[in-house]
Amino acid sequence: MPAIRNQIRELRALREMTQQELADRVGVTRQTVIAIEQDKYSPSLETAFKVAIVLGVPLDQCFQYDPRGKR
Amino acid sequence: MATSLSYREKSLYASLAAELIVYGPYFFLHRQNSVNKVAGMIFAIIVLQIILQSVIAAVTRNRITDERDRLIELRGYRAGYLTIVSLMVLGLGMLWFHLAIGRFQLDSRRVGLHFLSVFFGMLVVADITKTATQIVAYRRAL
Repeated sequence: MPAIRNQIRELRALREMTQQELADRVGVTRQTVIAIEQDKYSPSLETAFKVAIVLGVPLDQCFQYDPRGKR
Repeated sequence: MATSLSYREKSLYASLAAELIVYGPYFFLHRQNSVNKVAGMIFAIIVLQIILQSVIAAVTRNRITDERDRLIELRGYRAGYLTIVSLMVLGLGMLWFHLAIGRFQLDSRRVGLHFLSVFFGMLVVADITKTATQIVAYRRAL
């Protein structure tokens, strides 16, 4: 179980937003969005805030930290 | 889920291909060391890289790079640095060993060319390690 998990895929689907659209608005590549959604990459705090702002939700609704998870 | 290659990833595959095309024949097929061959190889890798990177830049619409690209780049450089330091220590140890047992004289031109090839080979191995590490990091998502 990863230490940082996220609900980006679900939140993105609710807004009918593609990975490319989210990537363009956040300023990252589509491959990075895919890696974040698959919990393979934990973004920087700045990128995490940008994702939350683009999706229109508080940061903790987008990302959750599990102290028992592995980095 | 399909994950097409990013601009940086395509660029890395091109770099690896160029390195293998140019360095492979030199290190595996050549019979004699020479300064001209090393100079020719450096010229060839520069020309090939310019051509391949130009083609990739021309055919790739989205050329942005982000924090993950920079992180992967740093990982590659760390792997390359550790490789070259390890090879240098090994090479200097072998040089000391051969000098200690009196296997060759350092004033010989042939030995100079031999070391040119050996140390250039270390640079090449470190460079390929750097590129391969970055490709693996991209394939594993990081």
